[in-house]
Amino acid sequence: MPVWQTLYGELKKNNFEIVSVAQDTGGAKAAGPWVEKAKPGYTVLIDTQHEVTRLFDMVNVPTAVWIDEKGRIARPNEVAYADNRLKALHGLDAEPYLKGLRDWVANGDRSPFVLSDKEWKERLKPQKSDHALAAAEFILAEYLHRAGNRADAVAHYKEAQRLNPDSWNYKRQAWALGDAERDYGTNFFKEVQKLNGKPYYAPRTLPEPKEKKN
Amino acid sequence: MVRFLLAAILLCPAARAAPGAERRVVIYDGAATAVGAAGDESKDLWLTLADLTAATRFTLKPEGVCRDEQCFPIPAGRAKEFVAQRGEVTWFNLSEFGRLLQQPVAHDAKHGVWCFGPRPSVQNAHVASRVAPDFTLPDLKGKDHKLSDFRGKKVLLLTWASW
Repeated sequence: MPVWQTLYGELKKNNFEIVSVAQDTGGAKAAGPWVEKAKPGYTVLIDTQHEVTRLFDMVNVPTAVWIDEKGRIARPNEVAYADNRLKALHGLDAEPYLKGLRDWVANGDRSPFVLSDKEWKERLKPQKSDHALAAAEFILAEYLHRAGNRADAVAHYKEAQRLNPDSWNYKRQAWALGDAERDYGTNFFKEVQKLNGKPYYAPRTLPEPKEKKN
Repeated sequence: MVRFLLAAILLCPAARAAPGAERRVVIYDGAATAVGAAGDESKDLWLTLADLTAATRFTLKPEGVCRDEQCFPIPAGRAKEFVAQRGEVTWFNLSEFGRLLQQPVAHDAKHGVWCFGPRPSVQNAHVASRVAPDFTLPDLKGKDHKLSDFRGKKVLLLTWASW
């Protein structure tokens, strides 16, 4: 959050906003302390049903989407680290992403970081029906959990995870609600190890800087 | 006896909805509504017309099942799959309507909860249009914000989590 705040301070004069949405079934109680500590100047919203995850077909956090002045998506969802604190874990350098973001804020549609319509058509697909059902199972699980039927919610969280195995939001959120080993027989680090280096986030596909040829 | 019945009607949402109804919860557009539903003879969710509107804002009209400016006609010859008259009460089959609209539906039989997701054409509208799907969510103080409130600015829509 502090890095996003610095970036926001730098770019907001250029008609730029950050809308930061917590994917937290625990609501303000879970997300609030983080916000109160960082006191960001930008807008922070609470999403107990992971609606934004569903709308944009996201699979993990942190994930970001760039939306232009007309409400058009300039870049669809991809992993968005603001700094390199967890670089040892995911191997991504934050700097090229932040450079791209600055370029887009300065140049708008002329920025090479805006996805072309051709790339958009290649990349964006309708949501799979299993993933749509996973989102409904997840909301049902969240309802049961909140109503105090925690044990019965687990079956629906598991169903959401089965239907959308790519969604780390549905896994990590459910594991965090109780004893992951007891309820799900696993935990985050075990699952990351199983991937053996395969990314567990929506990959970044920033245009590569052109190398000088000798 | 009359007093007992009155108390039962006041205390039990199912009894208020219709005679012979059981308590159910419908989650539609993310909002949960307690309704009375017809008994166990069907695996489908049958609601009274009042509960249909309370839970989904859809209304049964001669031209179809309507909400705002949009109406979905009931397919010819299939009226009995959607609407049933039992005594004084008209029941509507929300499960069949969900299948008609190709909605994803999750169900918990033990707790009587049904969750209906959006139609594929709504969920996937942005794939063709490239326009960001809108949403309304609260901030920490409970004040609602819409994504489209930020039109006219460039927006970095960023998700994170405490977990």
